[in-house]
Amino acid sequence: MVSSVMGAALLVATGPLILDTYSVSILVRAFLYALAALTVDVLWGYTGILTFGQAAYFGIGAYAAALIFTHVGFDWSTILLAAGLAIVAPALAGLVVGWLSFYPGSTPLYASVVSLAFPIVVTQMIFSGGTFSGSSSGLVGYEVFDLSIEAWFRIVGGVLLLAAGAAYMFVNSEMGRLLVAIRDNEMRCAYLGIDAPRVKILLTAALATIAGLAGFGYANFSGVVAPEIAGFVFGTELVIYVALGGRGTLVGPLAGTVLIDTASSYLSGDLPYVWQLIVGLVFIVVIVALPNGFTPLFSRLWRAIIGRRGRPRHLAVVLESPRMDAATTTATLEIVGVAKSFGSLKVLQDITLSVVDGELVSLVGPNGAGKTTLLRCISDGRERSSGTVRVNGEDIQGLPPNRVARLGLGRKFQTAAVFESLTVAECLRIAGVLRYRPSLTRPLHVLHLPEAARAVVETTGLVNVLSRQARLLPHGQKQALELAMVLALEPKIVLLDEPTAGLTSAERRRIGHILTELASRHRLAVILVEHDLDFVREISSRVVVLHQGRILLDGPVDEVVGSRLIRDIYAGSSHD
Amino acid sequence: MTLLLDVVTTAGVLFTVAMGLLVVFGVLKIINFAHGAFLTVGGYAALVTTKFGVSAWLAWPLAFASGGVLGVVVERLVVRPLYARPLDAILATWGLGIVISQVITLWFGREVQFAQSPLSGTVAILGDTYSLYRLTLLGVSVGLGLIFAGLIEGTRLGLAARAVIMNEDLARGLGIDTRRVRLLTFVIGCGLAALAGALITPLSSVDPNMGVPWLINAFMLVMVAGASFFSLALASLILGGAQVVVSTFVSPILGGMTIVLFAAVVLRLRPAGFGRD
Amino acid sequence: MIEDVSVSSPPPVLDVKDLSGGYDDTLVLNGVTFAIGRGEILALLGRNGMGKTTLVRTILGFLPPRAGSVLLFGRDATGRAPDLLVRDGVAYAPQEKAIFQDLSVRDNLRLAATSDRAFRHALPRAFELFPLFEHRLRQKAGTLSGGEQKMLMIARALMVAPRLLLIDEISEGLQPSVIRQIAAVLRGERDTGTAVLLIEQNITFALDVADRWAVLKRGGIDDQGTISAGVASQIADHFAI
Repeated sequence: MVSSVMGAALLVATGPLILDTYSVSILVRAFLYALAALTVDVLWGYTGILTFGQAAYFGIGAYAAALIFTHVGFDWSTILLAAGLAIVAPALAGLVVGWLSFYPGSTPLYASVVSLAFPIVVTQMIFSGGTFSGSSSGLVGYEVFDLSIEAWFRIVGGVLLLAAGAAYMFVNSEMGRLLVAIRDNEMRCAYLGIDAPRVKILLTAALATIAGLAGFGYANFSGVVAPEIAGFVFGTELVIYVALGGRGTLVGPLAGTVLIDTASSYLSGDLPYVWQLIVGLVFIVVIVALPNGFTPLFSRLWRAIIGRRGRPRHLAVVLESPRMDAATTTATLEIVGVAKSFGSLKVLQDITLSVVDGELVSLVGPNGAGKTTLLRCISDGRERSSGTVRVNGEDIQGLPPNRVARLGLGRKFQTAAVFESLTVAECLRIAGVLRYRPSLTRPLHVLHLPEAARAVVETTGLVNVLSRQARLLPHGQKQALELAMVLALEPKIVLLDEPTAGLTSAERRRIGHILTELASRHRLAVILVEHDLDFVREISSRVVVLHQGRILLDGPVDEVVGSRLIRDIYAGSSHD
Repeated sequence: MTLLLDVVTTAGVLFTVAMGLLVVFGVLKIINFAHGAFLTVGGYAALVTTKFGVSAWLAWPLAFASGGVLGVVVERLVVRPLYARPLDAILATWGLGIVISQVITLWFGREVQFAQSPLSGTVAILGDTYSLYRLTLLGVSVGLGLIFAGLIEGTRLGLAARAVIMNEDLARGLGIDTRRVRLLTFVIGCGLAALAGALITPLSSVDPNMGVPWLINAFMLVMVAGASFFSLALASLILGGAQVVVSTFVSPILGGMTIVLFAAVVLRLRPAGFGRD
Repeated sequence: MIEDVSVSSPPPVLDVKDLSGGYDDTLVLNGVTFAIGRGEILALLGRNGMGKTTLVRTILGFLPPRAGSVLLFGRDATGRAPDLLVRDGVAYAPQEKAIFQDLSVRDNLRLAATSDRAFRHALPRAFELFPLFEHRLRQKAGTLSGGEQKMLMIARALMVAPRLLLIDEISEGLQPSVIRQIAAVLRGERDTGTAVLLIEQNITFALDVADRWAVLKRGGIDDQGTISAGVASQIADHFAI
């Protein structure tokens, strides 16, 4: 990274000296496009939002300048007005597009659909503006800054470098890691209390502003604007540059845009169609065979040449001081008359139970009894068909999972839902964002963990692998990591779905001990769904038996476990 | 009433264009962004028949065959590796569309050209005179819709395709060769796209990028329609009608974005669109 | 160890040796070994989460095996695609969502046959097994009762005279009368030479139908034997807690 920055700075400083004017002006334009491509990379490469629409914000910024300079005039007040408009208009548009695209339950495909529709709408609006907006011929000849091309080169180059630097800082900051977490597992984020749609909407608006400013620069530099710069063809070109350069690398998209756009400018005179053809072919090959683009190839080559250099980050795990109200609040989960049906299929009927702090309740029953559905109804206020669920005194009616999580309820999934691309420490940090706002500039270097989470991290050996990527962890440690993440949320009620699935007997013993401690020492209310009845007998204080959607038994562990009923249900000898 | 005829014939054209995309999306669960390019291929097939002086009716089977053959190659090389990555499939097929249109430009040149219509002239209907070809197209759209609905309901391939749409895992567990079903479906979808291209060329003209605006509209229609031919027909009628009305009474330019806007809003309010949940 | 049936017996229909597998990084099966011969019903028992469904799906090729081998009719079928196995004479009745709710009874049955002519030959067999379907061909499968849907599933599986049938927890949620009917059908199939792997939690049903039993526990076959009087309590002990 450092070497590419130095190379780029060198180019910006000396470019005009070695290159001819034509090349310099091509590069200025390429730099402006690269700024827009940067925003595409942050949205797509890091946050997983495939967008064809950044061109529209670019166009809005450009037309803001062109329209004001054409129809109002060119002096300091109009310049400020145009600049302001180039910031505000894309931001507002970004908020609207974001609101349309990101909501609980939206799909990535729909977001891409909207991002495709938006530039079409913008270009059509420009077309319909008649002579005011220049329609299909665009606006030309308005007054602009009187700067030499060399000066433009240095200014735009410098801005691009600054933007790249800021982007680099941002994606490596805690907030940047949050974006990757959202991309990796948005559902896990929701159950950690994170309002992912809101993050995505704000991100879209912020990046729209940057694209808009790039467009503003373009309008000033080139002196002409045409509807194509707001169109989705340009938008897809930006995506192509990012894909070829390497999504999620920042450097890749920048280099890709500059190289390809510059080459296009040179070659479009001689063989425009062949060049487009080649770019198209390479694009297809990259998407199919080399999805991460060319940058990873180059960086591997580079590292092979200059020799590896690890950069271990120093991390301090800080034990958090207990919350002020930890001793006084009690955990309560009240479930009254909850039922869940899918059409005419009744999955749960008449479920009533209460759990308080210090209890370790196991929910058992054969497949199809409705156990996981019950967990869903407790953690997502929109799931159940009828009945009431109160988490720590609050009715969860209609609340999405992230709001329920904020009431003090944590849920651990059966399939070890962690953030595969993040390190163990980063996963834990993201789990704690409700309590500690993520930094927009600084990377993770101190990790605050509440006592329960820290206990899990230390006893399961996670403390030794804090810098390891979560996807490299063995299954048992992933389960432990997810549990620690849930505990980092500082819930008073914890729901666990088959926590022993796939664990070795040593790991099972450890988890059993941890769960018992959570209930007895940390005074949490622990509810687990489990099939391993030996495990259930060892650690539970209370057992609830679910069968065909109803509660059959609910009592202390000794009473329930020994009863004939459990054996009959599992052994199947009493089917009525 | 000319307006009513415009609405109905426009709906018919939209339906024909979008059918191939729907077939592919329903079974393969991916969006073929090269659909517009296949449309263009069909348009140029029609141009070829004009240039060779043969009957313009031959454009239709020629287009379908060209689209189908190209579809076989595309499915094997580009689409099959991307079944697990639907967003990347959109990108790869978009790249493919670029490649196809550049090849067409290199071969045929980029200027606008004209293919001969198999039917010309107008006919008196409902007190107005109306283009005979447009009316024929309407009939063809309805016919194609009925044929394909029949294929899907009646034939084994159609049944297998429906099974794959509903539950691919279960279909495999029954011995259905889902790879073959996907290949055949994709080929038919591409053939349909090319056929639609040949059908619409007489309405305007042929140029290497003629398919792009149709792609977007077809895409939005398919998103709104869900997975059945019937809801696609319904969507074509409603959104196509809206486009005609806006174009006629407000402005043709705004009319061009009616479908896109309408569809985006409908999907936001009801993610299943016009289809069943 | 596999019990020998006789020295000169033909190769087992299904021969699983040391099969290991699971999901992602979880190892669910750890060295499973058993075999089923012609005209034999083996009941595979075990509590939830012990890996019964994982075992079936690994045998069929829905999940890639990590180690071990699966021999089908004497030929190597380890990890082969499920549709290939099915076309070779294997039928599978999965645990959940085993019929197409939106298709008619007739269309559901039709999907099992490889051609329309084969379907016409096979359809009478479906009526033999479950006569109720003869007059319900046009009915949408989703409107059948739970028990009828399971019968449809079995009819579809058996209609094409498979050599091996794998059934995953068919008795779940069924009335005793329907269970008895299905048990009779399975016994009839066995008598014609079909091999059946019956995955069950319901010990009573399994003992009623099967010839041999095996218990799957913590990734491997814990115990197995032939069905005889008094074996029920021996099996139930494996389920005790």
